[in-house]
Amino acid sequence: MMLGIHYHTTSADNVVSLDREQELALEKKVLVEDLYGLQKEISELSVKLEKLGLGEKEAAEALARELAKIKRFAGLSAVSGPGVEVVVQGQPGDDGSGTVQASKVLDEHLMKMLNELFSAGSEAVAINGQRITAVSEVRLAGNHINVNGTPLEPPYQILAIGNASDLKNRLELRGGLVEYLLSEYGISVETREKDKVVIPAFKGELYFEYAEPVKEI
Amino acid sequence: MSAIKLKNFYWSVALVSLVLGLILALLYRNNMDIQQDEAIRRTNELADQVEQMKKEHDVLQGQLNRMLLELEDLSTGTHANQIKEEMEQVKIFAGMTKLTGSGVEVTLKDSNISKDYTENPNLYIVHDEDILRVVNELKAAGAEAIAVNEQRLITTTGIRCSGSTIKINKKDLVPPFVITAIGNPETLEGALKMRGGVIDHLQFFGIQVSVKKVEKLEIPAYSGGIKSNYMMDPEA
Repeated sequence: MMLGIHYHTTSADNVVSLDREQELALEKKVLVEDLYGLQKEISELSVKLEKLGLGEKEAAEALARELAKIKRFAGLSAVSGPGVEVVVQGQPGDDGSGTVQASKVLDEHLMKMLNELFSAGSEAVAINGQRITAVSEVRLAGNHINVNGTPLEPPYQILAIGNASDLKNRLELRGGLVEYLLSEYGISVETREKDKVVIPAFKGELYFEYAEPVKEI
Repeated sequence: MSAIKLKNFYWSVALVSLVLGLILALLYRNNMDIQQDEAIRRTNELADQVEQMKKEHDVLQGQLNRMLLELEDLSTGTHANQIKEEMEQVKIFAGMTKLTGSGVEVTLKDSNISKDYTENPNLYIVHDEDILRVVNELKAAGAEAIAVNEQRLITTTGIRCSGSTIKINKKDLVPPFVITAIGNPETLEGALKMRGGVIDHLQFFGIQVSVKKVEKLEIPAYSGGIKSNYMMDPEA
């Protein structure tokens, strides 16, 4: 038995390096895809650039396609694709005093959920119809949680586009976020894989009062 | 067989088993060491490959960005000019343009409180969650652009602990974490320093936080790709 324990403690390091190996293998897989995508984009763009001599119309079309792509990426146009639907809500439960009280979903629970979905590779995310952008907040204001300055009503429905099973698996990982929210706060999270979800565009205005582009020479 | 003989027999079986067990355990450990070395070698090799591919990625991304600018330069005519105008605003929002403006600089450092062995040291280092809270507060206070250690936050940025570092836009960042945000410096600072707010919370755990209003700061552009594998135009 003693030997058994001894062996167990020394093998812990090995487990860590296995995790690291898996992480690297995953990173490599993503990079291979990215590199392939980049090469494709470059060759497509060079074809477009060559065509530019052909006329104004083609040039404007090529530019419009680039604009559309950047808008989808930034959250400025609606997008669709496979992904997950995640419903987050409080549950009635005993708070220890004997009275049954519903647990309450807090802004930081939703903030963590959105962050987890992006970390797991989501390409677009919305919560109750509010598209998440680079400047979207998730914040308690009065009785409501605000996103993009708009108050949301529970239950909270989050849609995310990406690899559906990867996203679901990440959330439902043992010791992961879903388990944590349930055990620590009594929050229920239901995740369903979807063949197609539609995510709306950011509805706010593009207005920059303080930021100015730096012209690079 | 007499009782004494039987007892001796048991003892010798026990002794042989013990010795055998020890030998097996030693063999096993040796074997584990070899396997472990092999795993480390594989991991290092993989890490080198990933590093190399990241460099290649940056080179290609740079090339693509230059080609995009070329496309914009070459496109003329009224229609193209309209598109270019919208493109400028969209690129600022998307994080693809380097920006300058007033704002705040927030620095987060691990706690320097001498750690009590009975307490969880995990509580006193800066986590992904702490950065997330600060960033969220800045967004709520109207920040127009944010970066963490020179990594521009974009729509799809996740902030995640990975071992002892924090990963943002596929880059590993190490403390101290410097969060820069462009916006109204008073509003941004006020939101962070609110009583019971995010700074109070972090300082409770001894995280060293400093906030500095800055008249002019620069926030770099996002340098990664914008390729998507899953999302498309819903009309398409």
